[in-house]
Amino acid sequence: MNIIGVFNEETQLVDALHELKEQKVSIDEVYTPYPVHHVFELLERKTSFTWWAFAYGFMAVVLVLSFLYYTSVIDWPLNFGGKPSSAFPSFIVITIILTIFSITILSLFTFSVMAVLYPGKKAVMPDERATDDKFVVVLRGQGQEAETARLGDILRTHGAAEVYEK
Amino acid sequence: MDKQFQLSNRLKTACIVLIVIGLIALAYGFFTSTQQTWANILLNNYYFVSLSIGAAFFLALQYITQSGWSAMFKRVPEAMNFYLPAGALLMLLLYFGMHHLYHWSHHDAAAHDALIRHKAPYLNTPFFYIRLVVFFALWIWMSLTLRKLSLREDTEGGLALFEKSELYSKIYIFIIAITFSLASFDWIMSIDVHWYSTLFALKNFVTAFYHGTAVIVLIAILLHQQGHYPGLNKSHLLDFSRYLFMLSIVWGYFFFAQFMLIWYSNIPEETIYFYRQWHGGYKVIFYVNVVANWFIPFILLLARRMDQNIQVVKWVSILLVFGFWIDLYTQIFPGTVISPRFGFIEIGSFLGFAGLFTLITAWALSRAPLIPRNHPYLEESLQHHVES
Repeated sequence: MNIIGVFNEETQLVDALHELKEQKVSIDEVYTPYPVHHVFELLERKTSFTWWAFAYGFMAVVLVLSFLYYTSVIDWPLNFGGKPSSAFPSFIVITIILTIFSITILSLFTFSVMAVLYPGKKAVMPDERATDDKFVVVLRGQGQEAETARLGDILRTHGAAEVYEK
Repeated sequence: MDKQFQLSNRLKTACIVLIVIGLIALAYGFFTSTQQTWANILLNNYYFVSLSIGAAFFLALQYITQSGWSAMFKRVPEAMNFYLPAGALLMLLLYFGMHHLYHWSHHDAAAHDALIRHKAPYLNTPFFYIRLVVFFALWIWMSLTLRKLSLREDTEGGLALFEKSELYSKIYIFIIAITFSLASFDWIMSIDVHWYSTLFALKNFVTAFYHGTAVIVLIAILLHQQGHYPGLNKSHLLDFSRYLFMLSIVWGYFFFAQFMLIWYSNIPEETIYFYRQWHGGYKVIFYVNVVANWFIPFILLLARRMDQNIQVVKWVSILLVFGFWIDLYTQIFPGTVISPRFGFIEIGSFLGFAGLFTLITAWALSRAPLIPRNHPYLEESLQHHVES
């Protein structure tokens, strides 16, 4: 059983999250209609996503440049108006394009794996009103009456419109 | 909230010493190699006029986009604009050195050269100065208008003045787009009178914006380290370095686009520009230019943690101050002095102009409260906070 708090205002939500964090309550998940900066900070979610994107980009640059070098210098050198076969400046444009392409596609797959998303997956949505105008906090229930009541009180004192268990 | 910026005697003395060094360097230069000295005057004056125009564009952009985060710092670009009148006077001085810089300004140049004759109706000495005066008149007039509105806002407040500033900013960026393009054609591209590049104006405009922003960032950080701008936090730094990061990519893009098209099409009248740089002894500087203005800022500002490190942003800005000089050096020196020269004249004249620019900017900063009083977005700027 999770404890679900529904807020009408962003400020109330942020206040409640501050209080919960002070009391060392672990917050399971927060659903908001739009991104809220404070929530990212308060949840302290760390992501390695940017490093993956950088790694893909770096890999793509190396691979594309070596592919171009192999095709136009080693395997099949052609004479274009007396230019050197290893025409580095003319490699750059295609390298940029293919790097962006690789980062985009590979990041999409990485994101899907990290977020466990796949075609046909059912949406995880404790309270559907989070897609309208409500801010929803999900707390892991402890199974104890007293604890549940205490967490519910914290949420209510900061202006939760509804608190229920699910 | 803030303390008024005072133009201290120490700073004033330092600036005057720098200006004196500059004057000595120029005097020494006129006696030893006149042409090189004129090239230096053009380079340095164009450098600081570019910074002013970049700052003006930055300021106008903040009004047009109604950016909240930067409202606190708008006195810095305003102060940098005060260099424009001095820049105008120094640019007019070029009249005495034109023949050393511009081949087309010689009386007999048009007679023997069909291309110069073709360009003569536009590229002639009287029209050159008419344009110069018109450009500076427009820039000074628009900058003064924005400054006056900004000072009136301090005492009167209200939204009407902000909306007026926004309207003038919209007009100003159109003026800059046209006049600064033509100015860079006139002052820099006409050095190589037979050569032309359609990307030249854009590249020089981006350079002005890029390095103008770098100097704004540098001044803001230096003031912060002196105890002004106590509200400057990591979110402001992140936004500043995003500007630098974005502009480093745009600069690299235009630099490369101009180079690659000329290199690839391989038409002699175009490649002469880079041939002179590569085979005239400028090849090392050509690469230093790319590394200093694109590669190092790009790599250093890639990670967010570096973006928010005040020392990294400060030293990237300082690097860009030198990077801009190198960029202009590769544009001006191959066409005028031909073989690369670097010595007391270059260092001294740059220091002199830098002293003048610092003196004018510091004086302008001390004339008004450092943090504007009634800017509608001021509170947003003071409270600026983005996730980190």
